[in-house]
Amino acid sequence: MRNAPLFFLGLFVALTLSWAGTVLFADHQLGALAPYIDDSDPVNPSYPPQQPGIAARGQLVYADLGCASCHTQAVRRPDFGSDQARGWGDRQSVARDYIYQTRVQLGAERLGPDLTNLAGRKPSALDASNLMKLLYAGQGAMPAYKFLFDERAIVGEPADSRLMLVGRLAPAAGREIVPTERARSLVAFLLSLNNTFEYPEARPVAPEAPKKEEGKK
Amino acid sequence: MNAPSQSDPRLEQAAVTDESLLAAHEKVLGRRPDDQGHYRLLPLNLLFVFAGLIFFSGTYLNLYSGHFNPAIYNEHAKPHTGAAEAVAVDPVALGKKIFTGTCQTCHQITGLGLPGAIPPLAGSEWVMGPEERVIRAVMYGVQGAIKVKGADFSSAMPPNGKVPGSGFNLSDDKIAAVLTYVRQEWGNTGGPITTEQVAAIHAKEGEHKQWTSEELLKIQ
Amino acid sequence: MSPAPANAEVTAVDTTGRWPLLLLLVSAIKWLVLSGVLALIASIQLIQPSFLADCVVFTHGRTVALTETAFIYGWGANAGLAIALWVLGRLGGAPLRALNWAVVGTIFWNLSVLLGLVGIATGDATGVGLLQMPRYVQPVMLVAYGAIGVAGVLAWLGRRHECTFAAQWYAVAALFLFPWIFSAAQVTLFWLPVRGVLQAVAGGWFAQGAWTLWLAPLGLAGAYFVVPKVTGRTLPSYDFAPHAFWCLLVLGAVTGGRHLIGGPVPAWIASLAIVACSLLLFHYFVVFINLRGAFGAGGTALKLVAFGLGAYVLGGLVDAITAFRGVALVTQFTHVDTAQEQLALYGGFSMMIFGAIYYAVPRLTGQSWASAALVRGHAMLAMLGVTALVVSLTVAGWIQGHELLDAKVTFADIASHTRFWLLLAVAAQAVLLLGNLLLLVNFCWSACRACCPAEPADSVAFRQPAAMEAPAS
Repeated sequence: MRNAPLFFLGLFVALTLSWAGTVLFADHQLGALAPYIDDSDPVNPSYPPQQPGIAARGQLVYADLGCASCHTQAVRRPDFGSDQARGWGDRQSVARDYIYQTRVQLGAERLGPDLTNLAGRKPSALDASNLMKLLYAGQGAMPAYKFLFDERAIVGEPADSRLMLVGRLAPAAGREIVPTERARSLVAFLLSLNNTFEYPEARPVAPEAPKKEEGKK
Repeated sequence: MNAPSQSDPRLEQAAVTDESLLAAHEKVLGRRPDDQGHYRLLPLNLLFVFAGLIFFSGTYLNLYSGHFNPAIYNEHAKPHTGAAEAVAVDPVALGKKIFTGTCQTCHQITGLGLPGAIPPLAGSEWVMGPEERVIRAVMYGVQGAIKVKGADFSSAMPPNGKVPGSGFNLSDDKIAAVLTYVRQEWGNTGGPITTEQVAAIHAKEGEHKQWTSEELLKIQ
Repeated sequence: MSPAPANAEVTAVDTTGRWPLLLLLVSAIKWLVLSGVLALIASIQLIQPSFLADCVVFTHGRTVALTETAFIYGWGANAGLAIALWVLGRLGGAPLRALNWAVVGTIFWNLSVLLGLVGIATGDATGVGLLQMPRYVQPVMLVAYGAIGVAGVLAWLGRRHECTFAAQWYAVAALFLFPWIFSAAQVTLFWLPVRGVLQAVAGGWFAQGAWTLWLAPLGLAGAYFVVPKVTGRTLPSYDFAPHAFWCLLVLGAVTGGRHLIGGPVPAWIASLAIVACSLLLFHYFVVFINLRGAFGAGGTALKLVAFGLGAYVLGGLVDAITAFRGVALVTQFTHVDTAQEQLALYGGFSMMIFGAIYYAVPRLTGQSWASAALVRGHAMLAMLGVTALVVSLTVAGWIQGHELLDAKVTFADIASHTRFWLLLAVAAQAVLLLGNLLLLVNFCWSACRACCPAEPADSVAFRQPAAMEAPAS
């Protein structure tokens, strides 16, 4: 370590090796991942669908509010955790699901449910008005994000986008609560979270011993 | 050697000078095994530890890295195959998906169709009838009047297979899957239909136009 | 003000570096206290989600991001750089050069951290772990870091002694590597973002790299210097220290995929990280053997270093264990991950740096700390707080992890079952905050005494250190 240039070179090579081994090699493998083309499907011939512009903006709202500190966006395979048993998705998430996302938010902690397939859950998928109410009122451990909404006096006709609230949440007479642009983008992003497509690489690996089942028959 | 005496928390006294610290440690680094070739025990143990870790790591990577294949997400996929052994697709599940995307708009999720406009599939003698007829109907479509469960219908069924004029271009295996699904759903009791059956008819009829119910009834 | 000329323990390095390094340290401790306040808010939100929830600045995601940023870039960077520069100067034997640059760099670095925190609070957070600051402050930080780091590199290149010591290797490595990791992560995540999950891979590489190639070496630089200086003994098995060093440097950032186990990335990414975590055990093992003299000897500074060392090695061991898929299945996405992070960053890095600060500041100011009670109080509260925090989060996370595996247990049930332990974590954060306030008071008091020309009567005198005996061979 006395030879300073050699020492710096060593440090640099060590760093470059880890960079090449993890990021660069992964990019070589997955950087050009194409959507999966299913020519027989008349509605969505290519999966995943492109992210609409408003959903891409919503993903940035999701990122800056820090939603990822409580919610993940990755369903694991059936024998690895209870993700699928909890109804968060019907198959494991794979790299192809994320190719159109602007700022991928896999998340680190699960204080709330996984959102990978929020809009594709059956039969309990939430629609835009459910999500708006959830954001406005909160639910359980999910706090209310009232700052994503404006309360204002109704001028003329009530706005189409106003929240239909009842009970103690309802605004005073003559006033309405409407989502801001940020709330609309966020909800558009949440509604774009849908992985009800099949990819060859997402199918489960064949179980170890199918012979036992044949024996039973 | 300068063992630290009772120290005041306000000031941790130094026991040695910087220069002697550097010199003493430099001497250790320059050290070789002694004249008899003996190493001290601890470094040898460390070597064993490191060798053991490397062996373990190599084995682990060999077993669980999926051969560095980007399509393998399950580390238990057999390394020697080099690819995940994917489970065969369940035709009923696939068929349900195709039905939802292609057929449900007209025939409805209940399979009952729309009385007077769209024939029902649930309990339909056409659906559960001979494979020869129902495959042709789905692949090439049907035009003209048709009698289903005693009621008359006249709306045309579009071609669905990979045939001229088709709006859906379903491949043979997908036709087989959707038929298999339809023939066991809503209490229907038709048997499953294989890709080979569909492919055989596709090859035989080629670019046939839409069928009429009379033509279909002639086929047994 | 100036010590006796015969006193070799306060050198020209200390007197010339006094104000620049004290500036770095006071910035560091200020951010530490701020991050403690934010951490307290974030931990209260875990048991009372509606706490400050109506305030857009303090959504839980933002308090977590603010805490992390203030801790890493405020406390960790400033304190680590101060210790690294000081160690390089002391062991180089020549007064530090380019300190004007370091002062300007410190000012700009801290202004950009402040701007970054304001940016996060007002909605410009990036959402990438450990890199939450908006991208407009990041280039400024890079330049400011270079201005500070240049003093360290000059001290290394212009050292008077031919021979080098482990503390120097770690300090130089940390100084040199951070700009590379930081800029590579910025480019791949924000300027020319890679596609899809590759962002998670690059983010993981950065997060693990920032820990193993930057913060951990900074802490180790302090520990490797303080331990032999105070115990006066040559480090045992020091001949393996270079191997431990290169082991960390080569494998550290390869652990980047360790949080992607079972995730939407090919299996090899996680497997490679798991293997790297196991191989790093060699590094932790050697560091433990080298520095084991810290245990059971010396005063408060050495006790803190010993605690930090224990936490560092334990953290490495836990990291290797929880990296395995069978264990990660339970611990993934739970408070155990947070506990591990706190064990490494607070228990390992910060404690080693605390020890180094307690050792270094008297040399920098030329006189002892102002209050012994505050030193003892801070050390005790810090050790107690870290232990309580890590234990409570681990237990809470273990319960959470097991209940997440059972699809029938709802999130409300999990929250009520972990409530007690999360309350304990809140208490631990309060204890840590109190301890760090003591440090801030003591530090400012000591620095003020250094300003006064009169030598305080109660100051403890420096003892003349002896020469280190060469090891018998």
